[in-house]
Amino acid sequence: MTSVTKIFIVIIFILSGAIRIFSQDSFQQQFDLAKKLFDEENYFDAVTEFKRLLFFDDTGKYSYEANKLIGLSYKQGAKFSDAIHYFSLAENNASTEDEVFESKIEIIKVNILRRTISRALTLLDDLRIDKRFNNRMDDINYWSGWAYIFADEWEKASTSFNDHNPELSALCDSVNGDFYNVTLAKTLSIIPGVGQFYTGEYVSGLISIGWNVLWGYLTINAFAEDRVFDGIMVGTLLWWRFYSGNLQNAEKFAQQKNLEKTNSALRYLQNNYIGSKP
Amino acid sequence: MKYCLIFFFLIPLSTLPQSSFDFHSPENIKKFADHLFCQGDYLRAVEEYESIKNSNLNDTIDFKIMLCYSEIGLYQMSNLSEVRLSKSIFKKEAECLSLKNRFKASPNSFYKISEIKVYPFSKEDRLTLNYFQKLTSVSFLLGSNELISKDEIINPFDGYEKKTMLSFYEMKVNPACKSPALAGVFSAVIPGSGKMYVGEWGDGITALLATSLLAFLAYDNFRADHKTRAWIFTGLGAFFYAGNVYGSIAAAQIFNARINFEFSEGINLFLEQKNYFMPEYDFCN
Repeated sequence: MTSVTKIFIVIIFILSGAIRIFSQDSFQQQFDLAKKLFDEENYFDAVTEFKRLLFFDDTGKYSYEANKLIGLSYKQGAKFSDAIHYFSLAENNASTEDEVFESKIEIIKVNILRRTISRALTLLDDLRIDKRFNNRMDDINYWSGWAYIFADEWEKASTSFNDHNPELSALCDSVNGDFYNVTLAKTLSIIPGVGQFYTGEYVSGLISIGWNVLWGYLTINAFAEDRVFDGIMVGTLLWWRFYSGNLQNAEKFAQQKNLEKTNSALRYLQNNYIGSKP
Repeated sequence: MKYCLIFFFLIPLSTLPQSSFDFHSPENIKKFADHLFCQGDYLRAVEEYESIKNSNLNDTIDFKIMLCYSEIGLYQMSNLSEVRLSKSIFKKEAECLSLKNRFKASPNSFYKISEIKVYPFSKEDRLTLNYFQKLTSVSFLLGSNELISKDEIINPFDGYEKKTMLSFYEMKVNPACKSPALAGVFSAVIPGSGKMYVGEWGDGITALLATSLLAFLAYDNFRADHKTRAWIFTGLGAFFYAGNVYGSIAAAQIFNARINFEFSEGINLFLEQKNYFMPEYDFCN
């Protein structure tokens, strides 16, 4: 073989190698570009570039990752239905059980965020009975706990976190312990004003006592003076109106205070909890 | 042997045009934009079309840009394409789409274009003129202006559209509204009757009974010389009476607002169903 031919062959060898590397890289580069935009929180452009990659990539090599990242981008933009659509596509293109599990968990997290909790719990139950994921029970219970938190069922949330996440379990127990008992507030209001005192609404409790004493006195006084019609009218139109209002009021205060406690706990979790969140 | 080697190394070279990929070539951008357009992702599609506008613009792309902007609610941007399309095969479509954009931007005042008598299209073009007349009719129904004649409203339409527009016209001319003043007067004369006039029979009967009872209790206590109680019942009765008169007026106003809202919603639903009378364009199959 002459030296010229040898050099020619070497050049072709180098060229063909470079071309192969370049061709592989063009899709990888597109993925990297989209991923970079995603990491920079430029979610709109990230979605565009991921969609471009998916449109031209016939091999399906990036289908799982790109669909998942599109889903995450839409989730960041609070476009939850679009996010679920792309997480479902990611699940369909997953090549390992871990990828399937991650996709399903992302769908569950979006359902928790958009407060379709019953759907999230159904999906978690499906995961629980799926034998492929027997070794992921801790994760399933963890996200069940979050679903119950958003469903305002703190006791069940605490049970779900249990030993695997004592911090969250303790927080849920604490929130649950702080709640006013709505039934108790209503029951205590059989004696007007006491339910309001129980929820810390002292002024409202005193006003309630005042109205009930006034109309109660007028009603009883009317009956005592044999003015039966007056007694029935004042009793039904006024006293009963204020008495039932007192019962409803105590119930409303208890619910309102519990809602404030729930919101405060959710704010704390949003701002101070470091672990995984929906 | 050496030829075999050369051939062996040339094989990967032949794959160059297939595997080296330029995502941002005008052809590929157009393919991708078409894909986004067909997926209904108009915001991204128009961004892609705009990026190849200078190098690869044709009438179809320009019309798609116009459609995309219209779909995402940027009507002024959409109408910028109309001038460019005035000499293209999409001339009539662009004119209709431009009218649709103007209508969607301000449906209640679209009819004013016809008052100026300067039409944004050639009046000889019967298709566009008919389209314009249809939108003008709907605009008259949606606006609070004096209504034109029934024939002028329904003539641009045919068949089912004509029937529907006729029913909308009747609803506009004879709305099922209630007079707030009359409701107030009714309740002032007979407590609760204003509410009954508006159709709130339960509230009306309750108001009649409550006001009558309180009036009777006041009268009865005055007669028995229980002045404190009598004044309490008088005050409560007056409060109920005044509240009922005010409530009847408010109920009539709410009733009318609901009638107007349902009328507008009905027209909007009809327009959405008919795609604002625009022809359907199938660029995706």
